[in-house]
Amino acid sequence: MRRSFARRRFQSMYDISDEDLTFEDSYRDSDEDVEDVEDEDDYVDDDDTDLDFTDVVAGKDHKKNYEVDFVVHSIEGIVKNQDDEVTHVSNILGIQKQHTATLLRHFHWNKERLIDRYVEDSTEVLNKAGVIIDNTKTSKLIKVPGFICDICCNNDEDLDTLALSCEHRFCKNCYEHYLTQKIKDDDGNLRILCMANDCNVIVDEETIELIVNKDIHDRYRTLLNRTYVNDKEYLRWCPVPNCEYVIECHIPHISLTSIVPTVECVCTHRFCFGCGLPDHQPSICVLVKKWIKKCDDYSETEDWISTHTKECGKCHSNIEKIGGSNYMTCCKCKYEFCWVCMGPWSKHGTSWYNCDRYDEKTIDAKYKQAESRASLERYLLYYNRFANHEQSAKLDRELYNKTEKKMVEMQQISDLSWIEVQFLKKAVDILVQCRITLKWTYVFAFYLARNDQTNVFEDNQRDLEMAVEQLLELLEKPIEAEIIAELKQQILDKTVYVGSHREGLLEDTAKGLLESRWEFQVDIKN
Amino acid sequence: MEERRQWRKDHPYGFYARPVKNENGLDLLTWQVGIPGKKGTPWENGVYKMVMTFPEDYPSKPPKCKFVPALFHPNVYPSGTVCLSILNEEEGWKPAITIKQILLGIQNLLDEPNPDSPAQSDAYMLYKKDRSAYEKRIRQQAKENPA
Repeated sequence: MRRSFARRRFQSMYDISDEDLTFEDSYRDSDEDVEDVEDEDDYVDDDDTDLDFTDVVAGKDHKKNYEVDFVVHSIEGIVKNQDDEVTHVSNILGIQKQHTATLLRHFHWNKERLIDRYVEDSTEVLNKAGVIIDNTKTSKLIKVPGFICDICCNNDEDLDTLALSCEHRFCKNCYEHYLTQKIKDDDGNLRILCMANDCNVIVDEETIELIVNKDIHDRYRTLLNRTYVNDKEYLRWCPVPNCEYVIECHIPHISLTSIVPTVECVCTHRFCFGCGLPDHQPSICVLVKKWIKKCDDYSETEDWISTHTKECGKCHSNIEKIGGSNYMTCCKCKYEFCWVCMGPWSKHGTSWYNCDRYDEKTIDAKYKQAESRASLERYLLYYNRFANHEQSAKLDRELYNKTEKKMVEMQQISDLSWIEVQFLKKAVDILVQCRITLKWTYVFAFYLARNDQTNVFEDNQRDLEMAVEQLLELLEKPIEAEIIAELKQQILDKTVYVGSHREGLLEDTAKGLLESRWEFQVDIKN
Repeated sequence: MEERRQWRKDHPYGFYARPVKNENGLDLLTWQVGIPGKKGTPWENGVYKMVMTFPEDYPSKPPKCKFVPALFHPNVYPSGTVCLSILNEEEGWKPAITIKQILLGIQNLLDEPNPDSPAQSDAYMLYKKDRSAYEKRIRQQAKENPA
């Protein structure tokens, strides 16, 4: 009875979360602002007591299997990281910072490789990266008597000129024009070379700052940050448009078959660090990718075609039968065939409405067709549930608005304070989170092989689904003064129940992934 | 444009390059140029007419070079546009490249096509498959474009 055993184990996790319940209750009873103590990004203020501090540390120790460690960086933080790395390497290699930066960018910020290669053959590294190190030369604007710019032929006496360490000298105006245009139509690599023919010396960051105006320099800086984050495997931009935060998470790509690294930006967007898509726990990235592709392939048209038509045995056109006998003629290639057995009509003679030709081949074909229909039906079953939750999650946005009104109403007709009606908002938060989780449990289940494990998973999924619907029902109940206290308790209980159920489900799935306990119908290694 | 004075002072033999005239006088952004074929090659005795169009961003961006009429050559597009690395902004173009360097570069390209970046199939296929027929065709083209 493996099944009941697994169930019991799962149940025991809820027992643990029951303790959470009492803890949360006591916490809420104290008339303080209800803050989520489990939130990793909540930093403890200095004047907080030691007790709070240990709480946070304890929370970290008991990190759940479905959670990952991550840090959110602002743009300033990213710039500082780059500076630190440049300073660090610059000290090791003993070369100027602006050249170190060029080298690091050339090596896609792979410090170790740069240092290794530099120690091995510094000349080659410098050549390839387009750096000439000459500590006697720093790029600055100077006036050279009798100078004629090779590009614009200007020979004014007070012309500002500039040369990189390759000593190709041009006037400042030409440089500004060139750099501005290069930065404006950036092609992603930001390797801006000296203007001289066949010279591959890179224009370093310091020189660019010296020449271009502030707007262009800001854009240059932005591009540098972008390539830095893209080069680093453990950094990723928050995918929300115009959100400028970067998430740092050290989950290597190869672990993505056993971990779903969901992270949360300070803009509150929750997404998967592995693939950048919105949170899809408990499904792992590769299943999500397969699923999305499948959904794209199986458009409704495809679906209709596969249910209502058959393929012509000769030209493979899709044919819909709208009446008449079994004697069909393909209007494209004029192939004459029987609708029942799909064989050529020539062998049927005049039995227009009956077909008794059941040879091996046609049975085989029929069986195959039945099989493909069955798999389609299975897909549609899971897809409908998936789509249903997606749709409901959209409707839940409206629920937020309704709930806000309800919270106001509740304060008016009862003696509950603002802080005391916050439980409603929290309930909706949990509800929405559960919807997202439930949605992806269907994808996970779709790809699971049928076994006892899967049955337990689907039982838990069903439990959570029912509890979520019950919570929604409670939330939509009209408020009456006399039952408020009772309703509040019911909603509180249900919220905690649903929340811990979700956690339990995620925890069990995540643990199973780490233990390679799940069996999939598809290969998850590629 | 200073470039024009430079060119007048010093230009290689057989070449010509001047801005075209339009109703407002000289159009400095469009030049009519002629490139002579090198002596001792099937291209000799011909002068090939080309139009150079300079973008507003010149010299940050390269000029566009187009043979009019289109030329039978593996690296010239059917439209007449020349495919050459130094004329490509993403590849070899540098602001310090002069018109003289471009024209000499194209003259070199005439007899030394680059088989790695074919731009028209007719000339490329013939060049690959039947070199003598290709050269015959080039000589014919030289006669059609007398100096």
